[in-house]
Amino acid sequence: MAQRDSQLASKLSYFVGVFLALFALFAFLAWRTLDQVRVKGPLYEEIILGNVLIADVLPPPQFIIEPFLLTLQLVEETDAAEITRLVDKGNELRIDYENRQEFWKRTLARDTMGDLMTVTSYRAAMEFFRLRDDDFIPAIRANERDRARRVLDQMQQRYDAHRYAIDEVWKLAEQRNLANESKADGLVQSQISTLGILALGIILVVVIMAWFARRAAATLSQRVQLVSDVADRVAQGDLTTEVPSTDDRDETGRLLFAIGAMTLSLRGLVTRVKQASVELMSTATEFAATSRQQESTVQGFGASTNEIAAAVKQIAATSQELLATMEGLNAVSGQTADLAEQGQSGLSSLDSTMDRLAQAANAMSARLGAIREEAAEITGVVTTISKVADQTNLLSINAAIEAEKAGEQGLGFLVLAREIRRLADQTAVATLDIEQMVKQMQTAVSAGVMEIDRFAEEVRSGVGTVDRVGGQFGQIISQVKTLSERFDTVNHGMRSQSQGARQIGEAMGQLLDGARQTSVSLREFNAATESLRDAVSVLKQEIAKFNLGH
Amino acid sequence: MLALAFRAGTADLAIAARNIVEVLPRMPLRAPSLAPAAVIGLLPFRGTLTPVVDLCLLVAGRPAATQLGTRIIIVSIGTGAGARLIGLQAEDVSELIDCSVTTRGLHMPEHAWLGDHLAEQPGLPQLVEPAELLPEALIALFTRQPAP
Repeated sequence: MAQRDSQLASKLSYFVGVFLALFALFAFLAWRTLDQVRVKGPLYEEIILGNVLIADVLPPPQFIIEPFLLTLQLVEETDAAEITRLVDKGNELRIDYENRQEFWKRTLARDTMGDLMTVTSYRAAMEFFRLRDDDFIPAIRANERDRARRVLDQMQQRYDAHRYAIDEVWKLAEQRNLANESKADGLVQSQISTLGILALGIILVVVIMAWFARRAAATLSQRVQLVSDVADRVAQGDLTTEVPSTDDRDETGRLLFAIGAMTLSLRGLVTRVKQASVELMSTATEFAATSRQQESTVQGFGASTNEIAAAVKQIAATSQELLATMEGLNAVSGQTADLAEQGQSGLSSLDSTMDRLAQAANAMSARLGAIREEAAEITGVVTTISKVADQTNLLSINAAIEAEKAGEQGLGFLVLAREIRRLADQTAVATLDIEQMVKQMQTAVSAGVMEIDRFAEEVRSGVGTVDRVGGQFGQIISQVKTLSERFDTVNHGMRSQSQGARQIGEAMGQLLDGARQTSVSLREFNAATESLRDAVSVLKQEIAKFNLGH
Repeated sequence: MLALAFRAGTADLAIAARNIVEVLPRMPLRAPSLAPAAVIGLLPFRGTLTPVVDLCLLVAGRPAATQLGTRIIIVSIGTGAGARLIGLQAEDVSELIDCSVTTRGLHMPEHAWLGDHLAEQPGLPQLVEPAELLPEALIALFTRQPAP
């Protein structure tokens, strides 16, 4: 307490000390500045000295002594070049004079000194310059020295008048300066004394303020120390502390009252929090157990869903494959139908060809029959011829026998009979040949007829086969067509099945996502529950620190 | 001298033209009832029924082939009132050959009807006497008995 009090008091003393020191420094600096810059002070003396030096060194432009000296020099000068240089110099000096005169006309007030400067001395100077430029310099240029000296006398009168006016101006300016200096000196002296009185007053006020502040700080420090002790005990968890009440209604009194109320309400709050934390702990434990159970359930559900999704995916893939196979089968059956139709049309053309072939065979058979009949006729004719030959042979034999019996008379007849018999024999031989040939022909024709008949029979059976095959082709086509329709039906079913499987798979995927998200949420919830439990246990520990007095 | 060549079974035979009355073509004949097998029918010839004997049956034991060459040779056997016309059916009756040169062949008393061979003709046919050709029993059948 003493330490804190001394701290506050020493801080106040320190602030007052620093303030006084800074103020003293400021007052010293102000006094020194005033002392330095005052009239007749060191700086003032230096400035005046600089001006006086410049005025002493430079020829005075408003005092025409230099142009006058130049004219005296010109009267004696004989060198033309030197004359020109001096004249130019004179002209420059006149221009300088006129410029400075303009400045003073604008600056000086129209009082006695101003009239002397800008009117009296100016008129005399202008008369001097007019005489010099109009009479003196032409006379010098014309080398008329006597006239120049006469003009110079007139110019000297003007110069004297000018000089008199300037002297008057100097005197007046000197008097004015002295008056101004004494006035400024008095002003500075009075300001310095005022400054000293002001500083004394300020120091007095500061000291009084420091005394009051020290008293207030002591009271405040005592009250604050009391509040601080109560707060310290509350901070260490001792809520049993009774705060002493005070009748003061100032800030510290109200603070004491508030601290007491705060301690009371804090005691109630901590009691309630203690009970609540116990309940919260059991609730958090229950939460953790429940959420863990739920998480395991959700994980099981996720695994089951995964298996189902895999199975459905497999089903979808299988049905896709089946669909592709069915489509291939459908294409093959379509090709089969096309081929069967082509075969049918080919068979119908084959059928007509076979018909024509059968007709041709029949015609051939008929022709061969005709040939056989012809051959039979030939045989009849040949038989007749044979018979005739035989008869002839017999006749000739009998004739020969009669001739033999006739003896000598029958000799010629015998020869004739022999010739006849020979012819008959040849005829018989020829007919024999013919008969043989006809027989061969007949055999050949019979064989041909048999072949043709067999061929015709084969053609007929071929036509029958073709008709049967055509019918079978027709059946095949119709069956393939119905097959194709069935394929379409099955295809449609497969496609819808595949689509359904895919939809089931998607639904399963969504379900799985949901399960996963639920699992994640549960895990987060678990973690939150854990942290809740941790927080509650920490809270319990913290609350245990509080002493509630029972 | 001319002879009519023919065949009976496997034997080439010939009959002198002077013994032949006429040669007739083969014709369908009706065998007389109860007649010996060699007698194949009765042929109406020049107003009489002439018995016809198949030489093939007689010599080779088989009937003559039914072909144009098979003919009936009418011969006369016997002389005077007992002369008879007999038909002999033989095969290949179609050639008259010269029979002036003859050569003796085998001497077989039981077949006295086989005469000399015609040495100049191919196959060396043997001359046959019609009167000796037929057995006596047959001749007896054909000999007309005077009416009582």
